[in-house]
Amino acid sequence: MRTASNRAAHDSKRLPVCLRHLRIAATTAYFVRGSVCAFARSQSVLDPAGPQSMHVFRLWSWFLAILTAIFVIVLALTAWALTRRHRGIEQEPLERVHIPSRETERKLLWTVGSGIAATVLILFGLLIASVTTGKAISELGNKQNGMVVEVIGNQWWWYVRYVNDDASQIVVTANEIHIPVGRPVRIRGTSNDVIHSFWVPELNGKRDLIPSRITDEWIQADRPGRYRGQCAEFCGMQHAHMSLWVIADPPDEFEKWKARQLQPAVDPSDLHLQAGRDVFLKYACVYCHSITGTTANGQVAPDLTHFASRTTLAAGTLPNTKGNLAGWIVDPQTIKPGNHMATLNLKPEELQPLVDYLESLQ
Amino acid sequence: MTPLVATPVREIDDDRERRDLERSWRSKPGLVGWLSANTHQKIGMRYIVTAFIFLLAGGIEALLMRIQLAKADNTFLGPDRYNQMFTTHGTTMMFLFAVPMMEGMAVYLVPLMIGTRNVAFPRLNAFGYWMYVFGAILLYWGVFTNTAPDMGWFAYPPLSGPQFSPGKRVDFWAQMITFTEISALCVATEIIATIVKQRAPGMSLNRIPIYVWSMLIQSFMILFAMPAVMVASTVMLLNDRTIGTHFVNPWAGGDPLLYQHVFWFFGHPEVYLIFIPALGFVSAIVETHSRRAMFGYPALVLAQLGNAFVAFGLWVHHMFATDLPQIGESYFTASSMMIAIASGTQIFCWIATLWSGRVKMRTPIYFVLGFIFIFVLGGLTGIMLASVPLDLQVHDTFFVVAHFHYVLIGGALFPLFGAFYHWYPKMTGRVMDEFVGKINFWLLFIGFNLTFFPMHILGLHGMTRRIYTYPSEMGWEPMNALATVGAFIILLGGIVFILNAVNSRKNGEEAGPDPWDGGTLEWATASPPKDYNFLNLPAATSRYPLWTDPKERVVVTGLDDTRREVLVTTLMDAEPHHRLVLPGPSIWPFLTALFSAIGLYGSVFKFSAYYVAMLGAFVGLVGWFWPRRREAES
Amino acid sequence: MIAQRTLDVSELPVGSVSSHAPLWWGQLMLALIEASMFFILLAMYFYIRLSMDVWPPPGIQLPPVRPATIVLIPLVLSAAGSYIASEAAKKNDRGGMLLGLGLNIVLAVLFLVARGFAWGEWNFNWRATAYGSIMWGILYLHTIDAVADVILTVCLFAAIALGYTSVKQRLGVHVDSILWYFIVLIWLPAYVVLYWGARFVGAR
Repeated sequence: MRTASNRAAHDSKRLPVCLRHLRIAATTAYFVRGSVCAFARSQSVLDPAGPQSMHVFRLWSWFLAILTAIFVIVLALTAWALTRRHRGIEQEPLERVHIPSRETERKLLWTVGSGIAATVLILFGLLIASVTTGKAISELGNKQNGMVVEVIGNQWWWYVRYVNDDASQIVVTANEIHIPVGRPVRIRGTSNDVIHSFWVPELNGKRDLIPSRITDEWIQADRPGRYRGQCAEFCGMQHAHMSLWVIADPPDEFEKWKARQLQPAVDPSDLHLQAGRDVFLKYACVYCHSITGTTANGQVAPDLTHFASRTTLAAGTLPNTKGNLAGWIVDPQTIKPGNHMATLNLKPEELQPLVDYLESLQ
Repeated sequence: MTPLVATPVREIDDDRERRDLERSWRSKPGLVGWLSANTHQKIGMRYIVTAFIFLLAGGIEALLMRIQLAKADNTFLGPDRYNQMFTTHGTTMMFLFAVPMMEGMAVYLVPLMIGTRNVAFPRLNAFGYWMYVFGAILLYWGVFTNTAPDMGWFAYPPLSGPQFSPGKRVDFWAQMITFTEISALCVATEIIATIVKQRAPGMSLNRIPIYVWSMLIQSFMILFAMPAVMVASTVMLLNDRTIGTHFVNPWAGGDPLLYQHVFWFFGHPEVYLIFIPALGFVSAIVETHSRRAMFGYPALVLAQLGNAFVAFGLWVHHMFATDLPQIGESYFTASSMMIAIASGTQIFCWIATLWSGRVKMRTPIYFVLGFIFIFVLGGLTGIMLASVPLDLQVHDTFFVVAHFHYVLIGGALFPLFGAFYHWYPKMTGRVMDEFVGKINFWLLFIGFNLTFFPMHILGLHGMTRRIYTYPSEMGWEPMNALATVGAFIILLGGIVFILNAVNSRKNGEEAGPDPWDGGTLEWATASPPKDYNFLNLPAATSRYPLWTDPKERVVVTGLDDTRREVLVTTLMDAEPHHRLVLPGPSIWPFLTALFSAIGLYGSVFKFSAYYVAMLGAFVGLVGWFWPRRREAES
Repeated sequence: MIAQRTLDVSELPVGSVSSHAPLWWGQLMLALIEASMFFILLAMYFYIRLSMDVWPPPGIQLPPVRPATIVLIPLVLSAAGSYIASEAAKKNDRGGMLLGLGLNIVLAVLFLVARGFAWGEWNFNWRATAYGSIMWGILYLHTIDAVADVILTVCLFAAIALGYTSVKQRLGVHVDSILWYFIVLIWLPAYVVLYWGARFVGAR
C-alpha cells in the first residue's frame, strides 16, 4: 500500500525559497520608503527637534543599520543552507546517513562558534551605545537655565503649571505647553487618578505619570514649532483623545505669552460677552473649571482663564473654533464618549454668548 | 539491569498483549465516559482543539479591531467596545490559546516521545483541562454579557482598581487567571514528573529529544512564574477590589508599580513559556526533515536553559518609562540583550543542521523558514526595545505591537503550524495536503508581514497603542488600511488551514507509522496511536532510536497488560526501577473542577465563596482518592 | 508471535514508597509552587516598606512576638510526627504510621489553635493600609496551606486506620511529609519577616 512512509525515501523538488524571500523583502522596503516620505510627520520619533530626541534618533539610526545588516546576513545564511549542493553528506558512507562526518561537524562548530562570538561582541557594542546615550540624555538636563513645568495627568486632560518660587509668576493652563526655544525644560509629572504617560516624540521619550509619585524628564526644542504629544499609557475610555501640544516660541515671544497668561481673565467688553460670562457662572461649569478674575474656581477640569489662546480643545481632540466649541459644550459625550464633562441643558439663546465669551478669553 | 546491548531475543505473544491492552486502556462509553477519560492523547487533543477555537476567537477580536482602525475617526466600534476587544484579544491569545495549546501539544507528544503509555498523573491531567474550560467560560460569559474586561490584558491599577473600574469586568478577568494558571501548573507538574520518571529504559539525560527538554525546562519555568500572576491578579488586584486591601492603592501605602513588578515578573517568563516549546518544535522539524541528527545538541539544550533562567531577569524592561533609577534600568538592558545570545545560538545550530542535512522542502520546513524570517526580525526589534532611550520613544506604540507579534507569531505560531503539519499524520493517520499546505504558508506569511510590518512605521510616527481611533491629519490611515488588508489575508490563511485539516482527515494520503522517516519514538507506533501507545514499550538505545538498525531495537516486556501499568525509571540513566499502576477512567477530576469552579465563580462576588470552592475541591478529592476495596490488603 | 530483543521487567516491584515515585516528585513540585508564592509575598513586604515613611504605619501596634515564638514549638515538633510516619510507610509499619500521623495531627492542630489566639492579638486587619494587607496576606496563605495539609493528613490517618495500607496509601503518607516539611520550613522566614521585620527595617 502506498503511504507517505513508503514514499519517504524518494526525493522531492527543491524550490527557490530564498529568491521568494528576497523579493518580498525588496517590495516591502520599497513601499516602506515610499510611505515614509509620503505623509505628515508630526508626533514622529524620526523628526527630532531637540537635543534629547536627536540623541535617540542617532542611536536609532545605528541600531537600525547594524541590526538590519544582521537580519540580511541571517537570511542569506539560511537561503544558502537550502540551496547549496549537498556534496558532503551525499558522499558519506551509508551507515552514517543521519550523521555527517567529523570534518563537517568540526567546520560547523567553528562557524557556529564564530557566529555566537560575533553576536556577543555586537550586543556588547549596542549595550554600550545604549547606556552612553542614556547618560548623555540625562546629562542634558543638568543645566542652569532650565525651567520646571509640572504636568499632572487626569482622565483625559493635562494640567500644566509653570513652577516658580515667586507665586505671582506661576502660570496655570491645560493641554498646551509653551516653551522658549533653546532652553531646557524639566517636566515634573504625576497623576491625579490613573497612570498616564507624557510623550512628545519630537522632543524626547516618554515618562509615565503615576499617582503619588513624581517622575521627571527634560525636554528642549532647538527650533520653533508646534510639537504634538499624546498620552501613551492606557488610561481608560478616552485614552485615544488625550493629546497635547508643546509650542516652542522664540524667547521674546515666549515672554510675551507668559506675561499674557499671568493676567487674570479678560473682562467682557460688552453686554453680549457679559451675558456669556453670566451663563458660565450660572451653570455647572464652575464646579469643575476655573477662570481667574471670576468666582469660578473648580480644580478638576482645565483652567479656562486663557482658553481662547489655546489652539485645540478637549485635549487636542478638536481645533479650537467657535463651531467646535459650541458642539463640545452642547454634546461632549458624542465627541469624547465617557469623558467627565457634564452635558448642560443650555437654553438656545445662552449658547452663542457663552461661546463668544469663552473665545474672548485670550 | 541487563545492559540494553545484551538483551536476548525472545518471542512475544503480541495478539494476547494487544487484546489485554485494548481492554485495560478502553474508555467508558457515553457522556460519563467522555467526562471520565484521562488518556493523554484524548486530553491532549481536547486542549489542542479548545485552544484552537480560542485562537479563532482571538483572531475575530483582532479583525474587529483592525476594521475599526482601518479608517481614521471610524465609528465601527465605540470606545467601550474597542477597549473590551483589545483586552479580550490579548487575554484570549495569551491565556486561552498560547499556553494551553503548548501544554496540549506536550500532553499529547511527550509520553509518545519518551516511550510511555500515559502521563504520570492522568487524573490531574483531566482536572487541569476542565479548569481551563471553566476559566474560559468565565471570561466569555463576560464577553457575551457586555462585562468583558476593558483595561488591557495586563490590567494596570489604579485604572483596574475599584475606584476607576467599578463593576465586575476586572473581577471576571482576575479570576479567569486563577483557572488558567491552575491548569498550567497541573500540566507543568505532570510533565516534569513524567519526563523525570517515566522515560524509556536507556533514555539517559543526553538522549532526551530536544522537544522533551524544551517541555521540561518550560514546565519548571511555569512553577516559578505562574504564582506571580496569581499574586498580582488575585491576591493584590482582586482583593483590593473586593475586600478592601491596599496592595496597589497609592493613597493607602500601596504602589501601582508593585503590581507592575509582580505582574511582569510573571509576564516576561510567560512569553518564554510560549516560545520555548516552539523552539522544541523547530528542533524536531529541522532534524527530521533535514534527515540528520541535530547539530549542537548540548548547545541547544543549554541555550534553552539559558533562555529560561535569563527570562526571569528581564521584567523591568516593560517598565522603563516609569522613571526607575538609571543604573537598575541599565542592568535590565544588558540582560534583555544578552538573552539574544541564547536565541542566536539556537538559530545558528538550526541553520547548520539545514546546511549539512538533506532537506526535504515540505510544509513543516516552510513554516520553520517563516519562523526564522519573522522571529529574527522580531528579535532584532527586541534588541532595539532593550535599549532604554529607544524604548522610551517607542514603548506603548504600535512599534511594540509589531515587535511582540513578530516574536510571538513568528516565534511560536509559525513553529506551531509547522508542528501541526509535522505531527498531523501521527495524530490522525493521514498526511495533510502538501500543495494546500504551501498555499497556507504563503497566505499566513504574506498576510502577517503585511499586517504587522507597517506597525513599526506607525509606532515611529507616533501612533500609540490601545487607541480606538485617530484623527486623519496624523497620516496614519494608509498604513492602518494596509494592516487591515493583511489581517484578512491571515484570516484566509487560517481558513485554508482548517479546510486542509478537515479535508485531509478523509482524503489525505495514509500516513502509516512513520511518514517522514523520523528518529524519535513517537514514530515507532501506529498513526493514530492506540490508547496504550505502544504494544511493548520501547527502550532507547541512542538519541534517535528509530535511526538505529531495527535488529538492534529493544522493547520492554513483563508489565502486567491487564491493567494500566507503566515502567518507572531513574532520573539520570533511565534504568528501570519499578512498575506503576496508573488509574483508569474517573469522573472525579471533572467533578472536582466543577465544584471548585462554582466556588471560584462565586468568589468574584464574595470572598467567602472561596471557602465554597475549597469545600467543593475537598469533596471532589475525597471521591478522587477513595481507596478501592482490594487496596485494603497490605 | 513476533521475535524481538526484550528487556524483561516482570521481577520489578509494583509501586515504590520512596523518592523514586512520580508522586514524590509531584509533591515536591507543589511545594516549589507554594514556595514561589511565599517568596514573592515576602519580597512585597519589603517593597511596601520602601513606599512608606513610617513603619509600621501610625495606629498599628507591632504583632506581639512572644505568642508567635512559642507557637513555633508545636510546629517544629509536628514535623517529627511526619518523619516517623514517612519512615514507617516505607517499612509498611501500620502502627508506626498511625503514631506518626497522629502525633503530627495533634501538634498541628495545637499549633493552629495557638496561632488563632496569637493572630487575634493583632490590632489591625487587612484594610489598614498596605502594611495590614501584606501582613494578613502572608499569614492567611500560610494558615490556609497548613489547614489543608492537616485535613489531608487526617484523611490519610483515617485510611490507614481503616486498614487501607496498600502501596498507594503508604505512598500518600510518605509524600505528605514533603508538604508538612514545606509548611514548617517556609514559616521560618515568614515568621522572621512578619514578627521581626519591622524591628529590623522599621522607622517611627
